[in-house]
Amino acid sequence: MKIIKKNPLLFILGLMIILGICFFLAINIGSIKVSFIQLMKGLFIEYNKDVASIYQIRFPRVIVTMLVGCALALSGLLFQVVLKNPLADPGLIGISAGANIVSLLVGIFLPDLYVFKPMITCLGGLVTFIIIYSLSWKSGLNTTRIILVGVAIHYTMNAIVSLIESMSASISSSVGTITLYSWNDVFLLMIYIVPILIILLFLTQACDLLGLEDRTLLSLGINVNTYRFILSLLAVLLCSISVAIAGILSFVGLLVPHLARLCVGNQHKYLIPTTALCGAIILLVADTIGRTLMAPYEISAGIIMSMIGGPIFILLLKRSLYES
Amino acid sequence: MKVNHLSFSYNHQSYMKDINIQFKDQKTTTIIGPNGSGKSTLLMLLSRIYKIQQGSIELDNKNIWDYKIKEFARKVAVVHQKNQVYGDLNVRTIIGYGRLPYLNYHQSLSKEDKQIIDWAIEVTNLKEHQNKMLNSLSGGQQQRVWIALALAQKTPILLLDEPTTYLDIKAQIETLNLLRKINKEYQITIIMVHHDINQAIHYSDEIIAMKNGQLMFQGKPHEVINQKTLKEVYDYDLNVIKNNEELFVLNYQ
Repeated sequence: MKIIKKNPLLFILGLMIILGICFFLAINIGSIKVSFIQLMKGLFIEYNKDVASIYQIRFPRVIVTMLVGCALALSGLLFQVVLKNPLADPGLIGISAGANIVSLLVGIFLPDLYVFKPMITCLGGLVTFIIIYSLSWKSGLNTTRIILVGVAIHYTMNAIVSLIESMSASISSSVGTITLYSWNDVFLLMIYIVPILIILLFLTQACDLLGLEDRTLLSLGINVNTYRFILSLLAVLLCSISVAIAGILSFVGLLVPHLARLCVGNQHKYLIPTTALCGAIILLVADTIGRTLMAPYEISAGIIMSMIGGPIFILLLKRSLYES
Repeated sequence: MKVNHLSFSYNHQSYMKDINIQFKDQKTTTIIGPNGSGKSTLLMLLSRIYKIQQGSIELDNKNIWDYKIKEFARKVAVVHQKNQVYGDLNVRTIIGYGRLPYLNYHQSLSKEDKQIIDWAIEVTNLKEHQNKMLNSLSGGQQQRVWIALALAQKTPILLLDEPTTYLDIKAQIETLNLLRKINKEYQITIIMVHHDINQAIHYSDEIIAMKNGQLMFQGKPHEVINQKTLKEVYDYDLNVIKNNEELFVLNYQ
């Protein structure tokens, strides 16, 4: 861990390479197999039936998984920063569920609005966040209250989701399955997520500063609420967009930021890229395991995440306790 | 700083009733009083953490709320009682935050900023610790970091909320000596809330006593501190001993 902390940039480069390797492995795992050279040839030089179906089916799925993993992990990180609470996770405090309700309703009543679905879903996420925030604000931000209110909202929202689902007889969306995606989904995610990622790279200092007490920041002439508003907005957007495309995936937003923090520390110029890359890698690995373990049946990435991620997380926490 | 007819209430409970105070420039003023007397509320009002409801606070003949937030941060620095930051930031980075009132977002430190940070580190005697992580320092050293941060703001006024509360006796004395140095050598006006009456007497030019949201008295320590005034403020008979122009309040019986 100490070596990583001394060379965070090298570590981030390493993560990029790992993500690249995972990408090619994930592309190549499944019922159709092609060699790397065949793949390259098929993609860029001549038509190959196998490569074409991989390109149409597996590529979108893998890319969507990576983007969603990245978005959820960052969303979790931002919520932890903004709410000053290590337990803050978009799934746990009900933002995902709130977004999910709207996403479901759009799917049922306005299926034509596909392109705008993420935007409308964001409204659901935002309204939920505003409810949580206003209920837990009592002459200042009370971090325990936020979690309590959030968990209550989470259950309420989930109940509404179940209600909608049982009334509409649609397939359950709350288990977090990443299944069939098209290139359209990839582009849709890209349009929303890439600009947010770029904006975030300029907000690393704001994230660092929010580690200070609000009062200290005020005395330093910093408008804390502006920072908090912008970062919360981005967190809600990231989470809602993922929900709109991939449904609810719990645990990514909680686990990945902590993992990243254990590796590179709290400086957000390193922490934000690390979290984004780890999120992509981890969800991709979970999804790939999920679809190969009991092929042709699929285990949802969410379940794999929780099953493997939970114990690993506890191990890491214990280790970091020993180190300090 | 001047306080005019200041009143403050919260949840239908009054914490401050029509207070008028003139703080003396370049002096050390200490606010004392029992718990719930409103002394911390007053400090929060002075530092713009709480909004003023009635009355006004003036700084250089201008209402403090008429300053822009950054402008005010160049006039008044505050060391709060509770401070936190990500534990793995180094001391120099944290002290560098004191330059934020002078910078735009993401603007990097100029040569002059760095000199001022060096100066703040020098004054607070943190040179050998400047590259260490904050959580590896002792309580007294950490408090010096927060004072250095406030110094780096280069303000004419420094407010402190119970600066020695969590410290052991050595760190308490070191902190108070540091504050005296800041006041005498750099002519920075110090206004602080403090619990210990003896330390308040010893280290202050002026003492302000509050009780139930009202100003009880204000003046030079040995002019205003005696058994009778303390009884009024603390509701308890405290023995006051005078020894060679020095005042001692016995806080045991």
